[in-house]
Amino acid sequence: MPRALMFYRYYPFLKAMLEGCGCEVLASPPTNLEILGEGTNRCVDDVCVAVKVLFGHVSRLAREVDAILVPRLVSVEKRKYDTFTCPKLIAAPDMVRYSFRHLPPLLDFTVDVARAPWWWSCVRLMRRLGVPLRVMPHAYSSGIREQEGYDGLLRAGLLPADALSRMYNGNGTSLPPYLAERDVTVAVVGHPYLLGDHIVNKRLFHWLDAAGVRVLGSTMLSERDLDAEEPSLPTLSWSYERELLAAASILMKRDDVDGVVYLTSFGCGPDSLITEIVRRELRPAGDQVLMEMVLDEHSAESGVRTRAEAFADMLRHRKKAYASARRVP
Amino acid sequence: MKVAFPHMGNACIPLRALVEYMGVEAVVPERPNRVTLERGARHAPEFVCLPFKITLGDCMNALDRGADTMAMVCGMWACRFGYYAYVQHLILRDMGYEFESLLIGREDPRSVLEKIRSAVGRRGFLKLPGAAAMFRSKAGAVEELESMARKIRPREEVAGSADAVMVSYLDRLDRADSIRRVRQLRLEQREEMTSLPVRDCNGVLRVRIVGELYVLLEPSLNFDLVRRLGTQFGVEAEPVLSTYRWLLSPLWLDPLLHVSSSRARRVSREYLPYVLGGEEHMTLTGALDAPGDGFDGVIHAYPLTCMPENICRTILPHIAARDGIPMLDLCFDEHTSTVGTVTRLEAFLDMLRSRRDRAGSVHGYRVYNQKMEHLSIIET
Repeated sequence: MPRALMFYRYYPFLKAMLEGCGCEVLASPPTNLEILGEGTNRCVDDVCVAVKVLFGHVSRLAREVDAILVPRLVSVEKRKYDTFTCPKLIAAPDMVRYSFRHLPPLLDFTVDVARAPWWWSCVRLMRRLGVPLRVMPHAYSSGIREQEGYDGLLRAGLLPADALSRMYNGNGTSLPPYLAERDVTVAVVGHPYLLGDHIVNKRLFHWLDAAGVRVLGSTMLSERDLDAEEPSLPTLSWSYERELLAAASILMKRDDVDGVVYLTSFGCGPDSLITEIVRRELRPAGDQVLMEMVLDEHSAESGVRTRAEAFADMLRHRKKAYASARRVP
Repeated sequence: MKVAFPHMGNACIPLRALVEYMGVEAVVPERPNRVTLERGARHAPEFVCLPFKITLGDCMNALDRGADTMAMVCGMWACRFGYYAYVQHLILRDMGYEFESLLIGREDPRSVLEKIRSAVGRRGFLKLPGAAAMFRSKAGAVEELESMARKIRPREEVAGSADAVMVSYLDRLDRADSIRRVRQLRLEQREEMTSLPVRDCNGVLRVRIVGELYVLLEPSLNFDLVRRLGTQFGVEAEPVLSTYRWLLSPLWLDPLLHVSSSRARRVSREYLPYVLGGEEHMTLTGALDAPGDGFDGVIHAYPLTCMPENICRTILPHIAARDGIPMLDLCFDEHTSTVGTVTRLEAFLDMLRSRRDRAGSVHGYRVYNQKMEHLSIIET
């Protein structure tokens, strides 16, 4: 499985399910500059950096595995109106299939919850692998269990990459440093594949942490919180973007959050409009500051670092100024 | 009430007829140009696709001219287009403009009719069938005019004669106030177009243009691609999409459009099994059909960061290599310049011409090979 896009969302589920079926699951290594460069070379030039990373990972895996699983997420929830994901997630397997010459077969895992339930997609995937029917329920439930564990870690505030490394590499049990209580708190809103990939976000979390800031990721909000927020927001048929909008809205209302960073990648179609809605519709009501941060394959770590530090300094300064202003009257 | 709607190619002619027939004043701002685009781009999000920016500028032009209702289609698609109106109106209101939004979406037909009724009033609403007929006849006439001009431009004796006829008839069509008048104009324009002096040239290159709808149809965005190919380069260009198609297919006024579009979905299913919300099926089918329809090459035009067309762009090279059809990608944004586009077109068309010459005669190949042998002898 290439470590890109929705890997950061559904990997534990798919890994446990496929291992329950007797497959060996190999995830590509965490993104490095070589993979990013390879993806940039292979891919069309004006798609978002996350898709380029996907291409890099696929080309890395192509020589090592018997089959590659690139999920096709058409819709991930059932609602009264049509829901979709981003077109690039809908067409990800097609983009990959026609861009590489020699590729091991792509496993078809199509999720279209608006038309067929999630388990049906899993059954189809397992039948494609020739798994006998009696093994399926067990494999499926172990997948669900694993995913619950992963979601629990995310809810605790861990970032996708840290949660994954804790689950599969056994890295520590203590909370990561960015969750410790600090004087300033910043919330970062963005797709899990931007929050999770340290090469793409140029270690933003590390730099915020180094600047002495407590960092909350939008991945820590549960689906129930997001759904509760929904009625006050414009309806969107992009499921993941609707979640981001709800997350931004929730985090902007929280008193313990001083600033919000909206993380997006250059060329991300839905986000170009969502940032506009966030900026104009959910304009920070209280004491919060919104920073938009656009990432692409040319972003440099020092640039991200400078902005993170400046943002932290500004928030701290602002807090102090507000506090003294309140004391005067 | 003064209604305005964004420009797209010649769509303003039938749309104005539709609105004015129902007794509502339509505000049609000047055709968009680079200034409109710059104006829109200044206020639009940074990497939204180009049609958003130019229609935003266009809306500003319309509001400056006194429009008080902005009409636009919207809806829930996987493509960004469905949210254009919502976000644009947010931006315009933030800028201080005041207006009503008339957003026509993909809801059930009854609520759409209800919306129109409340906007135009009862008397206007009763005229809706007549307005629709007028709309259809004008759209058909404009479409015919455009397609004839495309055919004649590369072959005309006097450069620009087809365009002169087209411009004069577009103006007359815009002013026509009855269906009978439109029908009469249609006969006249057919007569006049066919009587234009043309050269006999069989060797005209034929190029198919596929890509994103707005960039294909709006001359101010694509630097007048179709006309330029015709008059400047002497190439017959045929876009797969047309204003007529875009306007009429959601209204079920022309069943033939649905036949061709469902065929396109069927043909492109092998490459893209799921609908992405744009015109990706027409793009792929246009490219797949190009060799069979006798085209020499395919031009793929799309705005920067367009989602469906970018996905097509990853698939098109595969089709091009397999079917042996040359393909040129033209990506447009607000920084694209005329010169860059023209240079690329020139190079592409030169390549097509030499390719045709070579394929046309076996002799060409032989001469080429002899030359090579000759050279190698000298070298040894």
